[in-house]
Amino acid sequence: MASTVSGAATVRQPGDTAPLLLAVRGVGISHEGAATPTPAAASFSVARGEVVLLLGPSGAGKSTLALALNGLIPHAVPASLSGTVLVDGLDTQHTPVATLSTRVGMVFQDPDAQLVTGTLLDEVAFGPENLRMPVDEVLSRSEDALRRVGLWDRRSENPDRLSGGGRQRLAIACALAMGSPLLVLDEPTANLDPQGIEEVYAALEELVAAGDRAIVLIEHNLDAAARITDRVVVLDHDGRTHADGTVDEVLRGRAEELHAMGVWLPVATLAALRLRAAGWALDPLPIDPDELRSALEAAGAPSSATVSVRKAGRIETSAPAAGADSRSSLLSEPLIRVRGLRTHRGRAEILHGVDLDVHAGEFVAIVGANGAGKTTLLQSIAGVVPIPRGQVTVAGTDIARTDLRTLSRRIGFVFQNPEHQFIAHTVFDELAHGLRQQHVPDEAVRARATDVLRRFGLDGKADVHPFLLSGGQKRRLSVGTALVTGAPVLALDEPTFGQDRARADELLSLLDSLRREGTTVLVVTHDMQLVTEYADRTIVVGDGRILRDAATHDVFADDAFLRTAGLRQPPLRRAFSGMTRHPQLAGVTRLADLPNPDPTATAAPTVTPAPTVTPEAAP
Amino acid sequence: MRRYAGPVARNPILTTRVLLVCAAIGVATGIVGGIAGLLTPVVLAAIPFAYGLLLGAHVLPGIIAQEVLRLPLVAVLSHVMAAIVASAFNPAWAGRFIGTALLFGGIQEGVAALTRYRSWGAWRFFISAVVIGVLVAVVVFFAAHMSVLPLWAQIAYLALSVLGPVAWTAVGLGIGASLRRAGVARTTGGR
Amino acid sequence: MTTATFDPYARVEAPGRFLYALNPLAKLLAPLPAMLLLVFVRDLATPLAFLVIAYLVLLAGARLTARIALVLAVAIPGAALVLGLGMSVWTDASRVDTSVTVLQIGGWSLYGGALAVGMATGVRLAAIVSLALLAGLTTNGPDLVRATVQQLRVPYRIGYTALAAFRFVPRFGYELDVIRQAHRVRGAHGGRGPFAALARWWGYIVPLLAGAIRHAERVALAMDARAFGAHPDRTERHLVPWRVRDTVFVALFWILSAGILVALFPWTL
Ligand SMILES: Nc1ncnc2c1ncn2[C@@H]1O[C@H](COP(=O)(O)OP(=O)(O)OP(=O)(O)O)[C@@H](O)[C@H]1O
Ligand SMILES: Nc1ncnc2c1ncn2[C@@H]1O[C@H](COP(=O)(O)OP(=O)(O)OP(=O)(O)O)[C@@H](O)[C@H]1O
Ligand SMILES: [Mg+2]
Ligand SMILES: [Mg+2]
Repeated sequence: MASTVSGAATVRQPGDTAPLLLAVRGVGISHEGAATPTPAAASFSVARGEVVLLLGPSGAGKSTLALALNGLIPHAVPASLSGTVLVDGLDTQHTPVATLSTRVGMVFQDPDAQLVTGTLLDEVAFGPENLRMPVDEVLSRSEDALRRVGLWDRRSENPDRLSGGGRQRLAIACALAMGSPLLVLDEPTANLDPQGIEEVYAALEELVAAGDRAIVLIEHNLDAAARITDRVVVLDHDGRTHADGTVDEVLRGRAEELHAMGVWLPVATLAALRLRAAGWALDPLPIDPDELRSALEAAGAPSSATVSVRKAGRIETSAPAAGADSRSSLLSEPLIRVRGLRTHRGRAEILHGVDLDVHAGEFVAIVGANGAGKTTLLQSIAGVVPIPRGQVTVAGTDIARTDLRTLSRRIGFVFQNPEHQFIAHTVFDELAHGLRQQHVPDEAVRARATDVLRRFGLDGKADVHPFLLSGGQKRRLSVGTALVTGAPVLALDEPTFGQDRARADELLSLLDSLRREGTTVLVVTHDMQLVTEYADRTIVVGDGRILRDAATHDVFADDAFLRTAGLRQPPLRRAFSGMTRHPQLAGVTRLADLPNPDPTATAAPTVTPAPTVTPEAAP
Repeated sequence: MRRYAGPVARNPILTTRVLLVCAAIGVATGIVGGIAGLLTPVVLAAIPFAYGLLLGAHVLPGIIAQEVLRLPLVAVLSHVMAAIVASAFNPAWAGRFIGTALLFGGIQEGVAALTRYRSWGAWRFFISAVVIGVLVAVVVFFAAHMSVLPLWAQIAYLALSVLGPVAWTAVGLGIGASLRRAGVARTTGGR
Repeated sequence: MTTATFDPYARVEAPGRFLYALNPLAKLLAPLPAMLLLVFVRDLATPLAFLVIAYLVLLAGARLTARIALVLAVAIPGAALVLGLGMSVWTDASRVDTSVTVLQIGGWSLYGGALAVGMATGVRLAAIVSLALLAGLTTNGPDLVRATVQQLRVPYRIGYTALAAFRFVPRFGYELDVIRQAHRVRGAHGGRGPFAALARWWGYIVPLLAGAIRHAERVALAMDARAFGAHPDRTERHLVPWRVRDTVFVALFWILSAGILVALFPWTL
């Protein structure tokens, strides 16, 4: 193998016949210009054939560390590295990336940023060609790699035509074709719909089953990842190794600790934590829905009578309207009315006649496969994209005839990528922009912007350029700009994308409290558990049409339908739906329906509700 | 053998990152250039002497690349990338794209080389703008048969041809400065 | 131009059509002398002759798709006509033959001489463009890049960077769309008139370029991670050879060009 890069001799310790595939020892990395290193001191190792899951709160330096594993740091990224990274015994500081590339294959988050050529086959062949392999070997490797991810039949197509999941599988094939015994994947499923995620993990599972590759996986979606994992490494907030051990030791054994750090856990584990605190005997903790179900079937209900599981369904709040099923009983006019909506992008018709009513105070989730038209629907309602007249009205006025200034006062919109919507040069001005447009007096602008800064944890950042914030901070700022003016409708496109659990929880409890005060919330998301937790009503979009529009509970009850729409049931539903021994749990779909061991976590969100952001007087 | 496998050390300036950033600048400004290209026949037909003002837009890739990266060869590279990509999409103008790219990029690169890539003051960019303006004026003068225009139009044409690149250079410098402020060029600053 | 649907990677399979079987460089090189000399030509006959040749070669050697037909039948003649008329109107009357008056509006008249000069310019530019189309309409992006790498010895790292950059075009176009929408709904720089429009565009450029550069950096990492640039050369699976027929095509075209230029001798300078 790799006859052309045989140059770099492997440095082996005497007597050490098989060096560890990867050894990371006390690695600290400072991006050029950064004051402190993130990660600060990460240490772990990977043996052949092992699957290691790397966890840590947002900003801990996981992505940065991934770049160091094949020498991109320090060779291609301006950052300095302390400590050592040994790949197959080679020190990455002194070995070129090209040599390391035959040992470590990389798969990044954005599939589009990994494409170079015009066909799938050329794409997979790109790496081996760079290694100057003979043509036959290039072809045989490419074929093997494409077959392993199930894309061989589509080898002559342009990668653009693949779905998001397909493109990520292609990226995996490209990494496989390099022949590397170690694959590093950094959030490979972040942008994918549930079906795409399933495809990617099916491909990974086959790799793991074959046993010839080790994997380092960085992933927020643990429900899929935990199943294939052998070992878990957890970085703390500064990027020091906090825990390193088997799934049993870390994920099951120290779940409370990880939860407190703000790290994502599998939903089944979170549910089990709550049940255990309520007296259920769940030891070891389950990490996927099936384990949770069988563990519960095996366990007796707690004797303590103080614990009772609240019944499924939304807890009634002061919200003016709650749920699609209550619509008929409402006398009031719908706030948003969509009739026969046909939205075009360029010459293509994307939405083919959509009808929809949303009442004030509803929390509506819009879900569907990649490319189904969710973003387009949300943007049509908010007047972001041009639509024909008379098809969408918000509070009685036709969106297509309203001028933008009025519109932005009615609907706060959060774009899928926050960078697209920043228009000012400082975080403060960004928040102040909407208020100034409404001619709010200067002191009031300052007061309100400062308030939002504080509530979103952006205190020290008022004078920073928005582009210089971290991903999570950018997302929070974009949400802040949408709600600072107190618009009665909030439309958010994938608001929790790229956030860690603590931040996502915080953001959603904020939205929930806004809704309780009467704000209407529309959310596009791929996170089915989130939908179940917060939305009264779910709209399933497919191929530019509404496939289903009903109470969330009913939408997720129909598994066959969900699969045809490219969706899957949320984990808790999967865990509890077949429950026979504990009928009181059978209908549970939301974490919030389970007893809460840690009342501070959701009941009293660190962010206070919104009254201060409601504009005192609309000019 | 080991040294042979050392690609990073072999080519310290034009790393893959620099190459692709140049390509990105080329393509992004090419979208602006594409709009200018669509306007070209209109302008040539309606007010031919103002063509130089429009053509000046093509200085952008080099200016932004130099201002953002401050490295040798980036001006020529981003121009060539812009031209290759533009040609693939609009083949009829391939020759013109590549010619303009080499001419504009070459001049910008040459002026930067004269200062040994040490001085990146605004004046340096404007010198290349004036040189480009004069050269373009002469070439287009022949190609579009400007000598049949009235004298005042010829003078206006010459003035606008020089003014075009100068004005667009100022725009490019402004964009470069904003990009630096947004932290985009951070990693190569001060080298 | 439908850049959104146009695939620069698409391979055109057209058996029997000779232009596709030629090396892209041959198709660029053959008409090059004629194109350069046409810049300095002032008569009507020479550009017309080259226009006819270019059309004949294209009709014989290229597959006549709707796109090509549209370019040849509408776009080029139309542009030549508009350009020619425009130039005629702007031509200084004191320098041309004024014996024939084609059109008279008030005190201003369009003379036959002016029209002749204008039309010559229009046809000249049309001829140059159609000669460029020989390569333009029958070559795909990757093949052109491969030919420059394989024959012109352009460093492959530059060539393949250009290949990767083809993908940037639709992506950045889409990003620009989203940025415009986002700024619009946030009410940035509302208002009408050219100055508001300028301020608006200024607001789009920085996010567009910042996003573009970030994207490019990520692509660069992905390419580096796959050993891009590791060696002075790389395996080429697609060869774009220079064959005898390429030499013959270029030679024939040059001889033909020289013949026309000698026969018509269009220089009066
Ligand atoms: N190119 C860069 N230049 C400067 N600083 C950076 C760069 N990339 C990341 N950082 C900073 O390094 C730190 C670690 O970032 P990194 O992206 O590695 O975190 P992460 O653990 O992957 O987080 P997430 O879970 O949000 O993806 C952050 O504070 C971030 O702001
Ligand atoms: N600007 C555009 N021009 C042309 N087609 C577009 C444009 N934007 C989106 N589309 C197409 O419209 C369809 C719906 O896109 P949309 O972004 O609404 O999907 P989505 O459901 O939000 O997908 P995702 O989950 O990937 O975000 C897709 O097929 C997409 O290719
Ligand atoms: Mg990350
Ligand atoms: Mg979307």
